[in-house]
Amino acid sequence: MSTELHRYDITQESDFLQPRDFNRKTLLQHVDQVFRAQITNIIDLTSEEKLFHVRLVKDHQRERFTFLPGQFVMLEVPGYGEIPISISSAPTNKGYLELCIRKVGRVTSVLHKARRGALVGIRGPFGTSFPMEKMRDHSVLLIAGGLGLAPLRAPIFHVTENRTNYDQVHIIYGTRTPDQLLFDYQYEQWRRINGVNLSIIVEQPDEAWTGEVGLITKLIDDLDFDPANTYAIVCGPPVMFKFVCNQLSTKGVPMHRMFVSLERRMHCGMGKCCRCNIGSTYTCVDGPVFDYWSVMNLKEAI
Amino acid sequence: MLFKILTKDGFEQLVDGILESNEVIGPKRVATGANGKPIHQYLPVTSFGELDLDYETTEFPAKTYFLPYRETLSTFHFDEADWTQEIRYRIQPRAIVGLHACDINGLLKLDKVFGRDAFPSPYYLSRRRNTLVVGIDHMPCEGGFCQSVDAHVVSHGFDLFLTDLGDRYFVSIGSDRGFDLVGKVENREVSEDDTHAYLAVRRRISDAFKTHVRTQNLPTLLDLEFDSPVWKRWGDKCLSCGSCAMACPTCYCYGVNEEVSMDFTVGTKVKQLHSCNLVDFAMVAGDHNFRPSRESRLKYRYYHQHRGFAEAYDEPKCVGCNRCGRVCLAGINPPEVIADLHEEDRA
Amino acid sequence: MRYLGIEPIRPRVGVFSFTCCEGCVLQLANKEETLGPFLEAIQVVNFREISTEKGADYEIALVEGSISRDDEVERLRQIRDQAKVLVALGTCAVFGGVNRLKDVFSPQEANRIVYGDQSRETAPIRAVHEVVPVDLSIPGCPISKVELERIVQHVALDLPWQFPEYPVCVECKQRFTVCMFDKGQLCLGPLTRAGCDAPCPAGGLGCWGCRGPAADPNHAEFDALVARRGFSRAQVQDRLSFFGGFPTEGSEEKP
Repeated sequence: MSTELHRYDITQESDFLQPRDFNRKTLLQHVDQVFRAQITNIIDLTSEEKLFHVRLVKDHQRERFTFLPGQFVMLEVPGYGEIPISISSAPTNKGYLELCIRKVGRVTSVLHKARRGALVGIRGPFGTSFPMEKMRDHSVLLIAGGLGLAPLRAPIFHVTENRTNYDQVHIIYGTRTPDQLLFDYQYEQWRRINGVNLSIIVEQPDEAWTGEVGLITKLIDDLDFDPANTYAIVCGPPVMFKFVCNQLSTKGVPMHRMFVSLERRMHCGMGKCCRCNIGSTYTCVDGPVFDYWSVMNLKEAI
Repeated sequence: MLFKILTKDGFEQLVDGILESNEVIGPKRVATGANGKPIHQYLPVTSFGELDLDYETTEFPAKTYFLPYRETLSTFHFDEADWTQEIRYRIQPRAIVGLHACDINGLLKLDKVFGRDAFPSPYYLSRRRNTLVVGIDHMPCEGGFCQSVDAHVVSHGFDLFLTDLGDRYFVSIGSDRGFDLVGKVENREVSEDDTHAYLAVRRRISDAFKTHVRTQNLPTLLDLEFDSPVWKRWGDKCLSCGSCAMACPTCYCYGVNEEVSMDFTVGTKVKQLHSCNLVDFAMVAGDHNFRPSRESRLKYRYYHQHRGFAEAYDEPKCVGCNRCGRVCLAGINPPEVIADLHEEDRA
Repeated sequence: MRYLGIEPIRPRVGVFSFTCCEGCVLQLANKEETLGPFLEAIQVVNFREISTEKGADYEIALVEGSISRDDEVERLRQIRDQAKVLVALGTCAVFGGVNRLKDVFSPQEANRIVYGDQSRETAPIRAVHEVVPVDLSIPGCPISKVELERIVQHVALDLPWQFPEYPVCVECKQRFTVCMFDKGQLCLGPLTRAGCDAPCPAGGLGCWGCRGPAADPNHAEFDALVARRGFSRAQVQDRLSFFGGFPTEGSEEKP
C-alpha cells in the first residue's frame, strides 16, 4: 500500500484572489510581498536626515493605498533589509509618500547613498492612528521633539487641510541645536495659516539663533489654552513625551486625550516577530499610537 | 470525534504506506546523555523501525517543521536597474508521527498566532496544512507539568492520535485525511472493553503527574510581582543564550535579515527565530537597548508565556513540556521560578 | 546595486601574514563556487598565497597572525601607515590566538622546547590591536569565509557591519545539535560570540571559544554550571585561555 499525501496549495484559497491590502488585516495574502516603489525625490533636511518621496509604481496599487495620520510602513531595500518608517505626508496626497529617514544603521545607510529613481519596496500601512475625528471641534496641541516632527507631520497636514474642524491649533517644536531642526522650509507656510500658532525652541543655540532657548516644556508653560477643550499629540523620545504629558496633565488635559507615538525595533509590522513588544503589547498592531493613559499602564514604555 | 482500533502491525503498515512517497518525521534516538538516558530528536526517518515511539521527550520541539529556525521569506533577483521579488511557500506534504499531547497543544497555540490573528501567515499555514500529524499518548515525562496548564490532553489539531493499549492502538480520528488513512489498513470498531481500557490508560497518565505548577491567578500575580527580587535572583543566572526559546514548542519571536549573493545578483530575505533573552532582542539602531538587563529579558519571557498570551487568547502560551527547564544550563525552570513567585507573594 | 543607483567601490586590498599558520588567508582562496565573484568585488593588490603582485597602494589591509618579533612590529606599522582600513583577520590577529600559550613559559624556556639549542628571537605574543589601532576585528580559527564575504560586501558599499551579539548556543539549537553538556563534554558555547554556525559542536567537539566573548557573557553563572557538572577549575581555565579571547585568572582584561 502506498499513500500519497495531498499537496495543498494555499495560494489557491479565495483570499489570495483579492487585491493585496494591508488595511484588511484578516485577509490571507502574500504578507511579505512588497509594493514596488520608486524614490522620486530626495530632500536633504539636516546632515543626518533626508526626506524621501516614494511613489508606488503600479497605478492600481497607488490608487488603492490609503492610510491614516500616525500609521507607518515597512520600507524594504531589497538585499539590505526592511525598516519601519512613519509616514510624514498628508493622507490626501495620493501621488507619493514622504518618509523622513535618519542615517543610523545598515538599511538607512544604504538609503542615504541611494539616488533618485531607486527602486525600493513598501508594505503597509500598519498600526494605529491619531483619532483625528474624535478631536473635531476641539483645540489641538501638536508637539514634537527632535525626529518626532516626522510622525507629527501627517496630523499637521490633516489639521491644516481641515482647519475649520478644529478650534485653536498650536504647533510646538523643539530640538537640541538649530541645525537639527527638520522641515525648516515649511515653518513660514505653517505660520501664515490663520489660526495656527507655531513656536520653536532649541536647547543649545548657535550664534545665528534669535529664537527661544530652553526645553520644550518652557513653551508649554507660556501657552494659553483651555485644557478642558484640548487634545494633544506628542511625538518625540520617551524622556521628552513623559515630561510634556505630565506637564499637560498638571494643567488639566485628561490623559486619554493625549496621544504619543512609540518607537521600537520591528521586523514584521504584523504582530508576529515580537521584537516591538512593550511588556506583551505589540507596538506594531496595538500601536504605535497610544493614548497616554495606556502608556502609563505599559510598564516598559517610558 | 470518531474512534477506531488498529493493531500495531496495522499502524506500521499505515506509516510504511506514507513513507513510500512522503517524508516522515518522528522521534529518533540520537545519543545517550551523560546521565545514561537516551536523547531523542524529531528527525526524518527512512523506515518505521527508526521511530522510537516509546520515547519520553525530545531535546528540541517539532516546531521547526512548521516555524523553521531559518526560513527564506523571499528572494530578490536583481537585473540591472530593476528587481523582481519571488515568494514560495512550502507545499511538499509530509507526516509527523509520534507527537505528544503537549506538542500538539503547542501547534494549536501557534495556529492562533499565525493562522487566525491579524495578518495570517501563509508560510506557517502552508506548512501546517501540508503536514499530517499523528500524536501518541505517553506517561508524564520527568519534570513535565503539562497537566497544570491543561496541555496533557488534546482534542483537535491532529489527524490521528494513538493511545497504546498494549497489543493495539486506540485511535482518535481528527480529520477526514486521518479517517481515510485508517481505512487503508486493517482496523475495527471500538468495543466496550477497548473504551474501558482507553479510559484506564488516560486515568493512569493523569494520576502519574509528579510536577505541578500553580497557575491559578498567575497573570495577576505576575503584575503584582513586577518588581519582585525573584527576577533578579533568576535573571542573574541567565546566560542570555536563547536555548529556552529554541527548545520551546511555542516560542515564535524572530528576526529578519537580508543577504546579497557574492556576485550581487540575488538578495535573500531570511527569517531566523530569535529569543527575547538574547541581548540584542530590543536593541535599536543607534545602540539603544529597551531591555538591557538579563533580569528584564527573563522576566518578559515569563510575562509573554503566562500573562501577555493569556490576555490575548485566554490561555497561557506555555504547554508545560519543561524543555526550557531541561535545556537551561543554568537550571532556570518554570516550576521553580513560578513557585518562587508564589512564595514571594506569601512573604 | 544599479536599482539603487549605487556603484560598488571595489576597494584595493592587501593581505598580510604574521605569526600564525596562514590558515585564515587560505580561507580567502576557499569556497570555489563564489571565489570568482569574491575576487571581482575587491581588487587584490598584495596577496602572496594567490598572486605574485606586490602592490603597495592598498586601501584595506587584511592582517592575520599575532605579533611575536620586533621586525613584525615594524612591518605592521608600515602597513598601518598605508592602509585606510586595517582589518585584524582571525583569532591570532584579534586575540593573539593559540600562540599566546607560549607566554606561559619564559622566552628562554619556550626557545629551548621548540628550537633546542638553535634559539631564535621571540617576544611575548601581542594581538594586532596591542601594536597598532585596528578598524575591524574578524575573529575565528579559521575565519568563516561566508561571514567574510558578507563583511566584504559591506565594506565595498561602505556600510556598517554588525556581528551577532548572542552566544553560539543559538546556532547549535538551530542546527538540532545535541547540547555538548548533555553528552558530558565541556563547551564554551554559552560565552562565545555566534556567527560561525557552530560547526564544532555539530562535529562532536565542544566549543573552544575561538571567536571570543559574546556581548555581556555571564562568567559567574558559567563558572557555577561547569562546577556543578564536575569540570575542574583548571580544565575550564585551560579552555578559556586557549585562544586568548577571554579574560582568565591572573590575566588583564582583554577586549
